[in-house]
Amino acid sequence: MLFDSPAYFLFLIPVVLVYWRLNLRAQNIFLLLASYFFYGWWDWRFLALMIGSTTMDFLIAQKITPGQTDSNRKKWFVFSLLLNFGILGVFKYFDFFTGSFSSALETLGIHHIPLPLIRVILPPGISFYTFQEVAYIVDVYKGRLEPAKSFLDYGIFISLFPHLIAGPIQRPGHLLPQVQKSRSFDADRFFDGLMLIFSGLVRKCVVADNCALLANAAFGGQFGPSNFWVVLIGTYAFAWQVYGDFSGYSDIARGSAQLLGFHFMVNFRQPYLSHRLQEFWRRWHISLSTWLRDYLYIPLGGSASGGWKTSRNLLITMVLAGLWHGANWTFVVFGAIHGAVLAVERFFFPAKAKQKDPALSQHSVGLLSLWAQRILTFNVFCLSLAFFRAASLPAAVQFLAGLSNFAWRTEYVSAFFMLCLFSVPLFVVDLLMEASNQEYPFANAPYAFRTALAAFTLIILALFSGNSLNAFVYFQF
Amino acid sequence: MPSFTSSSKSPALVYARALLGICAIIVLFLEICADYLLKHDSETYARVSQQYADAVKVRSSRPGEPASVLMVGNSLLMEGIDVDRLQGLTSSKMRIYPIFLEATGYYDWLYGLGRLFRQGARPQVVVLGVGVNSFLQNSVRQDYAPMMFFDVRDVLGAASDLKLDRTATSNLLLAHSSVFWDIRSVIRTQILRRTVPHCRELFSLVKPKPVLPPSPELEAVTIARIRTLRQLCEAHGAKLIILVPPTPSSEDAVRQMAIASQKVGVDSLVPIDPATLSERFYQPDELHLNSEGAALFTSALATYLPVELSGSKSASSHN
Repeated sequence: MLFDSPAYFLFLIPVVLVYWRLNLRAQNIFLLLASYFFYGWWDWRFLALMIGSTTMDFLIAQKITPGQTDSNRKKWFVFSLLLNFGILGVFKYFDFFTGSFSSALETLGIHHIPLPLIRVILPPGISFYTFQEVAYIVDVYKGRLEPAKSFLDYGIFISLFPHLIAGPIQRPGHLLPQVQKSRSFDADRFFDGLMLIFSGLVRKCVVADNCALLANAAFGGQFGPSNFWVVLIGTYAFAWQVYGDFSGYSDIARGSAQLLGFHFMVNFRQPYLSHRLQEFWRRWHISLSTWLRDYLYIPLGGSASGGWKTSRNLLITMVLAGLWHGANWTFVVFGAIHGAVLAVERFFFPAKAKQKDPALSQHSVGLLSLWAQRILTFNVFCLSLAFFRAASLPAAVQFLAGLSNFAWRTEYVSAFFMLCLFSVPLFVVDLLMEASNQEYPFANAPYAFRTALAAFTLIILALFSGNSLNAFVYFQF
Repeated sequence: MPSFTSSSKSPALVYARALLGICAIIVLFLEICADYLLKHDSETYARVSQQYADAVKVRSSRPGEPASVLMVGNSLLMEGIDVDRLQGLTSSKMRIYPIFLEATGYYDWLYGLGRLFRQGARPQVVVLGVGVNSFLQNSVRQDYAPMMFFDVRDVLGAASDLKLDRTATSNLLLAHSSVFWDIRSVIRTQILRRTVPHCRELFSLVKPKPVLPPSPELEAVTIARIRTLRQLCEAHGAKLIILVPPTPSSEDAVRQMAIASQKVGVDSLVPIDPATLSERFYQPDELHLNSEGAALFTSALATYLPVELSGSKSASSHN
């Protein structure tokens, strides 16, 4: 069920009410069943796949603890990685690579080679829960984490419904201890959870869904042939759509988790205020970017070897990050653009150990220069989004080729007006949050004020919600 | 032991409860306001509910009386037919009961007609005119239709036919049960029209283009749908006529629709060949007929629809 649907709240409210009446063990059993129901709501058939994959990793983790003989540990570890990435590969990438191979053969003049296509629907959330399983297996193998002793605990770590479908990707070291320890009701956090849910709903239903209308029209050709203004409307609208959509999802996920006494990591921290792409990735989809840093970039060598090896590692990491988003060459190019720009940035602005905090690094830049860099970074991201959003590489190239044509239509005024109407408030909220370093706007204001704010938010939601049939963008990943 | 240990007097808990209570009151308030707005300010609701109420009362005419014709369709008919004039021109031969709701398609009318029949409507003839694209689209209108045309079982039937997932099905059920949920997109559109300059033009531009199935599938889908409609109408003693209103560059689609109808044994009526209508007969949206085009279409319909009703095949040349 989608987080922005009434069905979700008809599910969440009784779950929360029953949950806090139970003791720890009963809470965990209840949460696991509720999470499986939540997942099975889409398609019960995929539940078996998730339970099977969870069970295998739970059992394998017991065999790869540092106490085992080295050869067996390594075998089971490699087997687990192959299993996890194998399942992901079959369901998500098999048809893509087979199709691409077939096209390559056609280009070489080799025709009529029958290559199998499996044509299966992508199981919801598979990219997210696979990454959590891999993180768990790696952490246990490296001795950074004790394997879970109870399947119940591990099952909840993987399938806890607030993060199950589209993250934030939870680290085992962060979430598992929360599952294992008893949780007491904290009214302050419960209230904050409600506020996060309201914040997320506005981001998704008001900002993202209304911007989606413009982005879909621009990329779908309803504004006519691509030109400079259509590219501007399309990429800007999609930038705010995807940000509102995914940060909204993350807020609702975090809020729902807080209602149940769990804490999830912050997944977005005002990304459009980044002054470089390096900083952008420390603020955008933080749970994925830190996962890639810790489980891919650093094992590849990270920036330790310096020079071109750092650039190579950045490129590999970002191309794979792009491919993680979807089985299409457009995502590969999206990732490659980011990898290349990150490598160039790294060359001109090498990271300094003392400036790892993005907020600190911005202080060394003048205000005018800072905003110029922020605008540049935002536009580089928007440019890459053309590949993220377009249906194919030729479509993306054709869309961007319109940049040299400045033909104007009066409807563009309305489109820009509507874009500003829905994106500027979110931008202002981001500025406020950047200044206050809070998890949601006015998080430290008196309860009465925040209650009134939430009520106002509900009215805004009621009056401006877009089409409820716009599924979350990240559900397809 | 329950882990609910926080004091019920904690200010956060008090305000959390207050917030949930306020939310419930706002939802109730919105529902009441939406109901009031719908019944007092919505021209669409006033028109369609009146037309629907009249249609429920339709009965087969006795010998010598004009035939009772239930004419249903979307904005192509609403803009393209002057119903009063058509009624005036054909008053001796038929009594027309129109229900026109914009942006409706096959599934809206399949279930809408089914409900009308269940409620007792017994027209002699059902004329359905939604255009080829809307006839082939796989969707139902998300506002008005679930509330005005569907019962719960219709919602479930439409959801099943459209292979909607459970979330989309529950949204449709809610649109059937809650006035606010049903018309919230209408309220939003009205607000945006007052806020965003030239919003009407923008919205007509950004409306998604219908995706039609490829040609071989198109014929199979058309035949299956017309057959289902025919069975529904015949089961309630009504003859079905598929009316194909003109739209620009639709000659091929219109021809395929007419051929599909013939294969199923349903009369299709194409009063005006789209190829004969120039741009000047259409509104700026290049889809709906303007007043000049509507006058032409109404006259042609007044000529050929009575012929179809009398069972004459002379109109076949226009099919």
